[in-house]
Amino acid sequence: MSTEKALQQLSPTADPKKYWTSLGQIEQSPEFQKMVEREFPEGASEMTDPMSRRRFINLMGASMALAGLASCRRPVEKIIPYVIQPEQITPGIAQRYATTMPFGLSAFGLTVESHEGRPTKLEGNHLHPASMGRADAFIQASILDLYDPDRSQLVQKNGKKATWAAFVDFWSKLYVSYLNNGGQGLAILSESFASPTLYRLKQNFTQTFPKAVWATYEPVSDENIFAGISAATGQSLQPNYDYSKANVVLALDSDFLMMDSENLTAARGFATGRRVASETDSMNRLYVVEPAFTITGGMADHRLRLQSGQVGTFLATLAKALQRQNVKVDNRWLPAQNEPSSIDTAWIKELARDLVANQSQSLIVAGRRQPAEVHALVFALNQSLGNIGKTVVYRALKDAAAPSTESLVELSKALKSGEVETLFILGGNPAYSAPADLAFDKLLTTAKQTIHFGKNADETGCLTTWQLPQSHYLESWGDTRSADGTASVIQPLIEPLFDSRNTVEMLSLITTGALPKAYDVVRETWNSLIPGNFEAGWRRVLHDGVLADSATPVKQPAIDKKLATFLQAHPFPATSATAASMEIIFTASASTFDGRFANIGWLQELPDPNTKLTWDNAALLSHTTAQKLGVKNEDLVAVELKGRMISLPVWIMPGQADWTVVVALGYGRTKAGRIGNYIGQNTYTLRTSESLHFTRGAKITPTNGIYALACTQDFHGLDVEKLASEGIDRRLPTLIREATLAEYRNHPEFAGQESEFPNNSMWPDWKYDTGYQWGMSIDLNVCTGCNACTIACQSENNIPIVGKRQVAKGREMHWLRLDRYYSGNLDAPQMVFEPVGCQQCEMAPCEQVCPVAATTHDAEGLNVMTYNRCVGTRYCSNNCPYKVRRFNFFNYTKDTPEIARMAMNPDVTVRFRGVMEKCTYCLQRINRGKQVAKKENREVRDGEIVVACQQTCPTDAIVFGNINDPDSQVSKMKKQNRDYGLLAELNTRPRTSYLAKLRNPNPELELSNHRG
Amino acid sequence: MAQIFPKWTNKLPPVVAAGLLLALLAVVGFFWYFGSPMYTDVGYQPVQPVPYSHKLHAGDMGMDCRYCHTAVERSTVAMVPPTQTCMNCHTLVLPESELLKPVMKSWSEGTPIPWVKIHKVPDYAYFDHSAHLRVGVGCASCHGRIDQMEVVQQDQPLSMGWCLECHRNPDMSLRPIDQITNMSWTPPVNQLELAAKFKLERNINPPTNCSGCHR
Repeated sequence: MSTEKALQQLSPTADPKKYWTSLGQIEQSPEFQKMVEREFPEGASEMTDPMSRRRFINLMGASMALAGLASCRRPVEKIIPYVIQPEQITPGIAQRYATTMPFGLSAFGLTVESHEGRPTKLEGNHLHPASMGRADAFIQASILDLYDPDRSQLVQKNGKKATWAAFVDFWSKLYVSYLNNGGQGLAILSESFASPTLYRLKQNFTQTFPKAVWATYEPVSDENIFAGISAATGQSLQPNYDYSKANVVLALDSDFLMMDSENLTAARGFATGRRVASETDSMNRLYVVEPAFTITGGMADHRLRLQSGQVGTFLATLAKALQRQNVKVDNRWLPAQNEPSSIDTAWIKELARDLVANQSQSLIVAGRRQPAEVHALVFALNQSLGNIGKTVVYRALKDAAAPSTESLVELSKALKSGEVETLFILGGNPAYSAPADLAFDKLLTTAKQTIHFGKNADETGCLTTWQLPQSHYLESWGDTRSADGTASVIQPLIEPLFDSRNTVEMLSLITTGALPKAYDVVRETWNSLIPGNFEAGWRRVLHDGVLADSATPVKQPAIDKKLATFLQAHPFPATSATAASMEIIFTASASTFDGRFANIGWLQELPDPNTKLTWDNAALLSHTTAQKLGVKNEDLVAVELKGRMISLPVWIMPGQADWTVVVALGYGRTKAGRIGNYIGQNTYTLRTSESLHFTRGAKITPTNGIYALACTQDFHGLDVEKLASEGIDRRLPTLIREATLAEYRNHPEFAGQESEFPNNSMWPDWKYDTGYQWGMSIDLNVCTGCNACTIACQSENNIPIVGKRQVAKGREMHWLRLDRYYSGNLDAPQMVFEPVGCQQCEMAPCEQVCPVAATTHDAEGLNVMTYNRCVGTRYCSNNCPYKVRRFNFFNYTKDTPEIARMAMNPDVTVRFRGVMEKCTYCLQRINRGKQVAKKENREVRDGEIVVACQQTCPTDAIVFGNINDPDSQVSKMKKQNRDYGLLAELNTRPRTSYLAKLRNPNPELELSNHRG
Repeated sequence: MAQIFPKWTNKLPPVVAAGLLLALLAVVGFFWYFGSPMYTDVGYQPVQPVPYSHKLHAGDMGMDCRYCHTAVERSTVAMVPPTQTCMNCHTLVLPESELLKPVMKSWSEGTPIPWVKIHKVPDYAYFDHSAHLRVGVGCASCHGRIDQMEVVQQDQPLSMGWCLECHRNPDMSLRPIDQITNMSWTPPVNQLELAAKFKLERNINPPTNCSGCHR
């Protein structure tokens, strides 16, 4: 069937909704057919690489001969006790410490699990306002950054081994001369930070060296937002959104649920307004205008695809519509010309009506990609709608080095003209991530001496005179301020693994010429921060991780008179991008962010939530654009922008604006390390300082090449019947149950099972009258698809990564995957996510076929997996309708470097080749909880055992507990009328159940049949 | 024509069959016995870096197990004591002894003493000392009469079957909590009655599912 024909069938009004996962499914390509029929994708079960079958048998023969002799002797194992045992440490009992992860201007408070002094797992700190006990995928994965074997391990001078003493000696000589000339010729390029101590040191630096240059650069930052607010108010402020108070949210090119800053508070607030317990509850409404799907767009009730460059025009049109509905909008804010016809005016009218109806309970938010003028107008409209002070408040940036691309451009000019003699680069990787027009890597040679202080000897570090190893935040003393100004402390969990220093020490060294202890410097700063008795207060801060009540006061900004002039000077483009001059959009990668996480295997292998691509970036195109260009998925194309060109494979994304090409930053690194090198293409080479985020003038030329991408979207597709297509069409609407709020109110039981299935099992029922019965409920209505649970699970359960080639064969090991489905047509589909892990069936098909009883039912209802019994027949996974079982085709942990093994959870078995594995509801946590309760001779309390995915979930979509207790939270959730089980008609009786998804479309817009 | 095979060969097939069967049984029996932890592990008595005598300390002098193995009631592991614990006494008691040389060396140099592990449960089985002590299983139940061992050796097979025997019927191993470190405790006459009482009081229902120990 051709795509055209398939598309016709995907009429937007077709009912019941037709769900699909990929273009392959719509076209019913032979590859897709095969994929759903097979237990694992083709080739997954063949042993092809890295060694041939013959070689394998050779080796096996040899090792059998050796094993015969060696196994006679019992291996001697040693117990190495302490000489002097630290007071707090009891072997076998994990400890938790509070610390903070700095991330640009943001800071996320964490509690870190530490086993005998070895940090293994990160969780959010409940007391910290920016994390609120939750963590996202980047935070979860940053533990691997600590144990990165490719970190810079020693001081290097011109690529040769040197020492810190040598560097201190070198600097102290220069230091004196700079003291005398006021720092003429001295420059610092830093990452952005919000930290009382670093800010104090920065002030000291500027005082000591008044003539020195300080530049701050972040490749992906909120710079435009600050600039917009500053243009609107004349003040330097940052926004704090409260999505929980907003009934109507309009997101303009903003992925506030995942990739924008302060995503955890945003997701949590949004979920608060979204969560529904019964049909009488109300829920918020989300309008999204964006060029390409983000998970925020997936949550939208109404989504409009629009080029990034058109968003400003859209906003101006909206402003006019608001003005017509008597909202105070100054005419001088708006462009003179008429509204372009390409934007759906009916849509805007209804949106405006909704915003007006919810004044002071609505919120307009624009993404960090959008230019300052959009943010300025957003501020003005939020002000006119009465939202400021209600759904959004503003606070002054405190103790912050705010990012400024302009400062980097200035620094580059100074470097070019030879004014800079000594350049310190404090963190960051400008040789890789600076705008291409600056040619920063070449500029590094113009300074007499350059010093790179960074975690890796990366693209920058290998060009500078000195490379100084920087400590990871889990090895450092320091402090931060979160977006609301709350001060929190960074305390080390472990001594530096290598000969590294932290940023506080480094900056002190630059300013004072001597290396102090960071602990002393931080304490000195906090002396003035902590009110009352310092020692007591300090101990409290170390315990809590945060300084209570230290948020900065809320400002009441008014609109500055200059706003009109500013908006007049920066008009929005009226035309849209076309074939001749396509729009290119640079996005931060959900895996590597701006490239800083490139060497973290967990993140590289984590499927992008929208594209489901792993280990690569691609040129994302809309379906129509690709068709007009004559390209299809995995075709290599040349992406050209202003004379610069790179070659990227095409990936077609439903719901993307035509004539846009979206490329992710953070790939194509050459000095990231063994994992991140040469993964994807470096798109920074197209990015210039005038157009950091999106621009027109891109050209795409098909080439003859083909490049294979590893995409997981069709893998583990749920099928029931042997034959794919018809079965899937019928089945998909039962996997995802979705309704509008109005439909839900009319039919509260819409998600319920269509019929009762008789229990005609061959096996006797399990008796569950006493004790615990574990179960899980996942609320699809608040699940945003952000991937945090997948990484939390990977970190907790020692799940290996397998590499791109293995992923392409469908051998990825994630116990918890996020299925992504589309519904509706290719141009304006809706997107739904569904986290699927082992459903812990009551009548588990896997248990019934295991020939060695390696997977069995336990008394508390879990399907448990005994790894040491498994012989790898894979019958269980063949028989699993949910495709949640994962097989170790190779010994994936064999090559894990010693240092990376330190991240392993000692409470979970590391699985060997030939063993099946799967989710066990974090059995180690259940057992720990039970034992704690038992020692105190009581029952486990509800909420006492928290599983890893649940703990990290920013929206609390996942709830776990004892379903034998009718008052437990999970029982209450399962009693809701939206509760349904996946493939319940198979009589598997899953213990994980789902709450059906709801959308809250504007009835007016729905009537006029504007879907999507 | 004379017969090729003499008459007695008629008996040969059953004899050969019986012989083969016996041989097979012998092989199975051999591995059954000599391959089991009962044979391979019980009695394992490696040479330790310090000639420490449990008989002297725990037996003759009557020190409580928990003086050194401090974590046993709180943690999964009983904990081999740090050198510091030895030095609590041995700074004064026999500091010059030849036998204590390795301890003194460890103390002065700050290097740990590499004890050889005797009681080993496989990595995929998660044993918790504290859980067993809480319900009143004594040290001696698994470790034997440590107080009589000059050099410690493994007393029980520590195999899964052996664990399960007790998990299925723990009656004979439950004792009053204050007797857990008493090496010479023997079940009283009314042990079954007591065990029933303990099970109720201490909420004892030992897991026999795989998930009890394997994860």
